[in-house]
Amino acid sequence: MPKCNINGKEIEVKEGTRLIDAFKEAGEDIAHYCYHPGLSVAGCCRLCMVEIEGNPRLQIACNTTVQDGMSVSNESPAVKDAVKWGLDFHLINHPLDCPICDQAGECELQIQYMKFGKYDSEMAEPKVKKHKVVDLGPKIVLDTERCILCSRCVRFTDEVSKTHELGIFNRGDRSEIGTHENKPLDNNYAINTVDICPVGALTSKDFRFRQRVWYLKNSETICNGCSTGCSVKTYYNEEGLFRVKPVHNEDVNGYWMCDFGRDIYKYANKEVRIQNPELNSEDITIDQAITEFESRLKSIDKSKTAVVVTGQQTVEEYESFLGYLKENSINQVYHWINNPDSFEDFDGLLIRGDKNPNTKGLLEVMDKNGFNKPWSELTSKLESNEIEHIIVVAPENVEMYPDMDEKVQMFSKAKQLTWLGTVKNDNINDLKIPMKSFVEKSGTFVNYEGRRQNFKKVTVIVKNAICLTDMVSYLKNKTLEIDNSPEHYKRKMNYFTQVRGGL
Amino acid sequence: MEAKVLTEHYDKDEYRFLDGYKKHGGYQMLEQAFKMQPKDIVEQVKSAGLRGRGGAGFPTGVKWGFLPDNGEPRYLVCNADEGEPGTFKDRLMMERAPHQLIEGMIISAFATGSHKSYIYIRGEYNYPAEVVKQAIDEAYKAGLLGKNILGSGFDHDMDIYLGAGAYICGEETGLLSSLEGKKGQPKLKPPFPAIKGYLGKPTIVNNVETLAAVIYILRDGVEGYRKFGTEKSAGTKLFSVSGNVVKPGNYEVPLGYPLMDLINNECGGLKPGRKLKAVIPGGSSAPVLTAQECLDATMDYECLAQKGSMLGSGAVIVMDDSNCMVDSLSVLMHFYHHESCGQCTPCREGTGWLNKIVHSIAKGEGRLQDIDLILKVAENMKGRTICALSDAAALPAISFVSKFRDEFEFYVREGRSKVKGVSYAEM
Repeated sequence: MPKCNINGKEIEVKEGTRLIDAFKEAGEDIAHYCYHPGLSVAGCCRLCMVEIEGNPRLQIACNTTVQDGMSVSNESPAVKDAVKWGLDFHLINHPLDCPICDQAGECELQIQYMKFGKYDSEMAEPKVKKHKVVDLGPKIVLDTERCILCSRCVRFTDEVSKTHELGIFNRGDRSEIGTHENKPLDNNYAINTVDICPVGALTSKDFRFRQRVWYLKNSETICNGCSTGCSVKTYYNEEGLFRVKPVHNEDVNGYWMCDFGRDIYKYANKEVRIQNPELNSEDITIDQAITEFESRLKSIDKSKTAVVVTGQQTVEEYESFLGYLKENSINQVYHWINNPDSFEDFDGLLIRGDKNPNTKGLLEVMDKNGFNKPWSELTSKLESNEIEHIIVVAPENVEMYPDMDEKVQMFSKAKQLTWLGTVKNDNINDLKIPMKSFVEKSGTFVNYEGRRQNFKKVTVIVKNAICLTDMVSYLKNKTLEIDNSPEHYKRKMNYFTQVRGGL
Repeated sequence: MEAKVLTEHYDKDEYRFLDGYKKHGGYQMLEQAFKMQPKDIVEQVKSAGLRGRGGAGFPTGVKWGFLPDNGEPRYLVCNADEGEPGTFKDRLMMERAPHQLIEGMIISAFATGSHKSYIYIRGEYNYPAEVVKQAIDEAYKAGLLGKNILGSGFDHDMDIYLGAGAYICGEETGLLSSLEGKKGQPKLKPPFPAIKGYLGKPTIVNNVETLAAVIYILRDGVEGYRKFGTEKSAGTKLFSVSGNVVKPGNYEVPLGYPLMDLINNECGGLKPGRKLKAVIPGGSSAPVLTAQECLDATMDYECLAQKGSMLGSGAVIVMDDSNCMVDSLSVLMHFYHHESCGQCTPCREGTGWLNKIVHSIAKGEGRLQDIDLILKVAENMKGRTICALSDAAALPAISFVSKFRDEFEFYVREGRSKVKGVSYAEM
């Protein structure tokens, strides 16, 4: 374990640590654009300059490995001047797009200029003109003028997605990122390039121009798009969710996530959600809905009641709900698998065929309660009208359930259908109870390898929504406490008071 | 006085063919090399003090000594991408004595234990490439290349590879990228090519002249080779003299030869009535010397380094008093802007910026503060990048502006050249 001295701080790092990471470990700021811990070292932005004792020349921290006894600083006037000029070289041909650039607010050029720059540019010559609004493919737009050619995106497609779509064309200050003819940037991980782009060169078609980033808050959660369970950050405000980005988690997803996971927020937003409990297409209150549900449970014979569950809810919900069913001798619990043929698939990086975040968790709880009836039994019982009441704990991420319509038709064969779901479905006219989506509740998902991952509530989108745990507690205690007092409303009020007060 | 070691038989047409080359002692040293231990050859090259003739002047034997002993295949690459403006010695060597290069390469390959070598020839050198190709074919037919060369048990294959005309591919790691079929961009160092080069394997990259010189180190021995040159700059060197001299061309002289003698004796001096203004002693990347500095300059690594310039590739560009330094610098800056690979930000943006500033001045649109700005920008491009192209652009800019500042100031104030009387735009 080599020890080194970074800006006067003695730290011990792992063998083979790069100097730039040692700076981060020591909590010291270091300017950089091209270095990304998940990619190879390019060493081309030349910003992470440091002074190493005994070396007359400034060195880049990203391509230097920490040696025992190294004494390094990036606080000397020589380094500061080099960084200042490094920034200026990045900025001399950078367009003044900030007011119309989607990256503004989270742009590394802005951030690092405020940290390390703050000078007046001496550039008096006309800037280099390059291509704007270059369509790179179905998901991403490129602005080559804003690009600082850090090559992170190129290295990503070479090293991580291994799809090699991107390259740097031309030379010198005419260099531009681009794709080959008829080979657009379109792979299952493409939007990661937008995340790692330090500037506004690569923007996601899905997110661009929809919100200024300073109007968004973010909170970490677990992606519910498949059984990998990537750590992600959701960006939201009172209007709903706007985007999802990966969070570094070495044990699960590294620095990346797939593009399917980027869409999970769409099934949690108001527009697609069941807003109110409904009975035969009439709005009812949540109390009425649960009372109706309870009376169905009581009045219909247990042997004619079936429950369908998917691997999309939390372990805590399964424990309380399946436990409640067991207590009440409802034993016909069936596991709905959306895509049995590709359930075991894996693309070698992150994407798994099991499109449920918690299949493992569900199976554990089902096992514990002794529920192990095959799906075919449900099919034949519905066929022969042996089921009168079917309770469906519906999946959230309906995109991943291509068999939805077909299954709903099948479930409708039962006399009564109780739909505990998040997303609207016009084919159902019976009892619908709005459920909380994964961003509105806290809980645990167990991923494909049995890793238990906890996550916290992010925000409230549908005020009337409940989760299975809420429902069971109502059924047991006759009290319902829905946590629908989102903090951000309060914050918003504060914000306006402050601004007006300031005026 | 010229000292013809490498170029002794360059005047003979037959020297470019195998028979002619052999008639003048060719391939004798190869046979002798095979009787030696490879490490002894390396030692001999080290003791002879041979330094890389491509530009950086790194001791060749030391470079060879960096090869790791890990059993990996090793490659030898001859850098014949002679791109440094003003240099044309490798072209002459390949055209006149291709077998000299091949023999030098086989000896070097034997010394470094590599069984495959490439000659990377710049894209514009079609004719030299043809001559070398023909010579390689001859060598294969005569059993000088291929399996079990001359019964020594040493196998070696050689190929030529034509670049596409990029200056940056003369930088050894840029050359290796290009040779690997990638975009010609220098690679991050460390690791150096001797550790991880062509295809990630240990690779030695040497200039044409360096490899050819190995033959004469074996022939004349360390003492004999060191007969020419100085303590730190041993042997002879080819200088490509161009510019305002009566007889421009390639001249082989001992290192340490006075610059003024080279100009006045070998090259026939300046044209009548002209006065020496400046000399770029080592290719366009070398800082320019004023006429005053030239008087006591000798052509060796240490003297030129002491004068703040460098021997480089040995391209001597002579400028007399009819040259406008602003115009000359704008030509140079155009070149470096055009040739920057664009990988490192200071070079990519800096070469473009310098080019724009110098051209603004040359168009008569300059501002007085631009002169200091050139110095500031260039100063901050120096030593900040992966390869030396950034320095190569910065050094001439700094030397031109600081040594001929009056011409730049005149240009800015009057909007026209102090020498030519008109602006670049009017020409």
